Amino acid sequence: MSERHLRGIPASPGFVVGPVHVLRWEVPEVPQRVIADEEVEGEIQRFHAVLGKARGRLQAIRERAERQAGEEEAKIFDMQILLLQDAELIARVESLVRQNLSAETAFEVTMLEWRHHFTRHTSPMMRERVGDITDLQIRVLSLLLELPDHDPLDVPKGANAVLVTHDLTPSLTVQIDREAIGAIATDAGTRVSHVAILARSLGIPAVVGLKEATRRLHPGEMVILDGSAGTILEQPTLDEMREARERSSRAERFTQELLALKEEEPVTTDGVEITLRANVDIPEEADLAAASGAEGVGLMRTEFLVISRATMPDEDEQYRAYARVVQSFHGAPVVIRTYDIGGDKLPVGGHPHEANPFLGWRAIRMCLDEPQLFIVQLGALLRAAAHGDLRIMLPLVTSVDEVRAARALMNEAAADLARRGVPHRADVPLGVMVETPASALACDTFIGEAQFFSIGTNDLTQYTLAVDRGNVELADRFTPLHPAVLRLIARTVEVGAKNGIDVTVCGEMASQPVMALALLGLGVRCLSVAPRSVQLMKRLVRGISARKAADAAQGALGARTAYAAEEILRACLLDAFPRGAEIFDGLPT
Amino acid sequence: MVTAAERTVRIMNVNGLHARPAAEVVKVASRFKSDITMVRDDLEVNAKSIMGVMMLAAEFGAELIVRASGPDAEEAVAAIAALIANKFGEKK
Repeated sequence: MSERHLRGIPASPGFVVGPVHVLRWEVPEVPQRVIADEEVEGEIQRFHAVLGKARGRLQAIRERAERQAGEEEAKIFDMQILLLQDAELIARVESLVRQNLSAETAFEVTMLEWRHHFTRHTSPMMRERVGDITDLQIRVLSLLLELPDHDPLDVPKGANAVLVTHDLTPSLTVQIDREAIGAIATDAGTRVSHVAILARSLGIPAVVGLKEATRRLHPGEMVILDGSAGTILEQPTLDEMREARERSSRAERFTQELLALKEEEPVTTDGVEITLRANVDIPEEADLAAASGAEGVGLMRTEFLVISRATMPDEDEQYRAYARVVQSFHGAPVVIRTYDIGGDKLPVGGHPHEANPFLGWRAIRMCLDEPQLFIVQLGALLRAAAHGDLRIMLPLVTSVDEVRAARALMNEAAADLARRGVPHRADVPLGVMVETPASALACDTFIGEAQFFSIGTNDLTQYTLAVDRGNVELADRFTPLHPAVLRLIARTVEVGAKNGIDVTVCGEMASQPVMALALLGLGVRCLSVAPRSVQLMKRLVRGISARKAADAAQGALGARTAYAAEEILRACLLDAFPRGAEIFDGLPT
Repeated sequence: MVTAAERTVRIMNVNGLHARPAAEVVKVASRFKSDITMVRDDLEVNAKSIMGVMMLAAEFGAELIVRASGPDAEEAVAAIAALIANKFGEKK
């Protein structure tokens, strides 16, 4: 790493060579200014004119957001539009102007007073509003001070710019013009923050958590952003730019080659049909997933509905989110996982911090303890199920009791919908996510209660090996090819096959060729991967024989170490793909 | 004729007085001529101000006093109390 490198967190893969566009979405400095008595009326009129202008701007942005992202996203702006019309706010500013303060000073003072009240509150409902106040402060003060408009709308089309900003608030994110912005870089953020998920789903390369990008990078300077490595290179040499562009076009060619497979069926060389499904993080990803050629969704997460929000989503909002995905797949199966989060992530109620959250009060445990919250989600799912083949998956199940309790709540939700006369489907398949050694070893106890199994390899590996998957010190100990993990998967597949229960694998493991080969060899016939990995998996499936994969998997099962298992599998893969590179290159990171 | 009216209400919707319900309160309050305030503990705010209503941070179960004084005070208090009792038309 040279001094020209800025290192952040890789959030969305891809290379972009382009000019920096710094978006300073921060409250401007207000010079203190007093006015003469005879200027007061004019200053008040100027303030009202600016409020009108800000409202017009916000309404235009709201309409644009509604067209591009939908009604829910557009609602982000409603609060700000209301605040602009607030009688108290206007009265307070007017009274300060009458005491000879300039409009911008009066507005600044008033906003500081409000902000003080809001930040004192501990409730997340109030803290979320602080973001609205900041947005409004920036908009109105910029207009009062006649500063240039910083909205990201103003980058020229075709610029392929790297948008550099402190943090992308949802209200900024929905304004991004994809024809102008090639990549995103932010000071704040993590891999799972809203901006990272959105960038991935829109296919925009992004690096987050850069800490000082807005301070170090200058508007207009050329940089290379590497979304896979999580770096930005300043003052790139001509050679470096050429190399980055080559890598970028190689990746593009690879994508095109894979796209050519779109109409082909995922069948092994010896005729075994495999089902490939896509994982979906947010509803906006549904179209991308459908376009990838996936036969349905193997895992739709629902955490986006509750994380970083002040309030729980109601039944209607959830129904719209689920129905949107179900409708994108025209009758193909869409498996939706109920909330897989800890109680501390919920917008409602103050739940205590846990010493050991991964072994704690989370997922199905939390949902069953908070039935009034879970039943709203189940009701919304049953309603969306009327539009296609929706299936419900329960996370972190360790005992069949939990499946029974969930089914009882599901029946209650169905009865409630029937009473209200709301269209829905009552007999939605209920499945178990096999992601603990308990559920894998005792998977036979779910027979007759669960209609399908879905193996979550990430958590299964973490819980089996007692290795925290987020701990970088342990990264090389975290391997699904450990004999213990492979045996748990083999057992689940075997019990499923014997009892006519479908077994899918929807973890990270499914999208890495060596791991995917192991899964196919162990008898898994349905894989669910990130949308951009669907074509790569199709190439893998079409290039290997199920019989040879089974032999390799048997070898791996008998190996004494993960390393030995990987050697056996890799040899089988290289045998099927002598060029090697074509299956290993361009791997999603 | 100026009259005064007052009523104690309890927030019954799960999400509390968040952005949308607060906006509903302001919309209803603004239809009346009377001065209308809402009180929680020792905080009294203008019910016609979205900032004011939000500042109450009234969660599920919170108890508030709706207070009005003016020509239509009685009707104003009744309308806001009804809105809150109906959970702002939300489900659940």
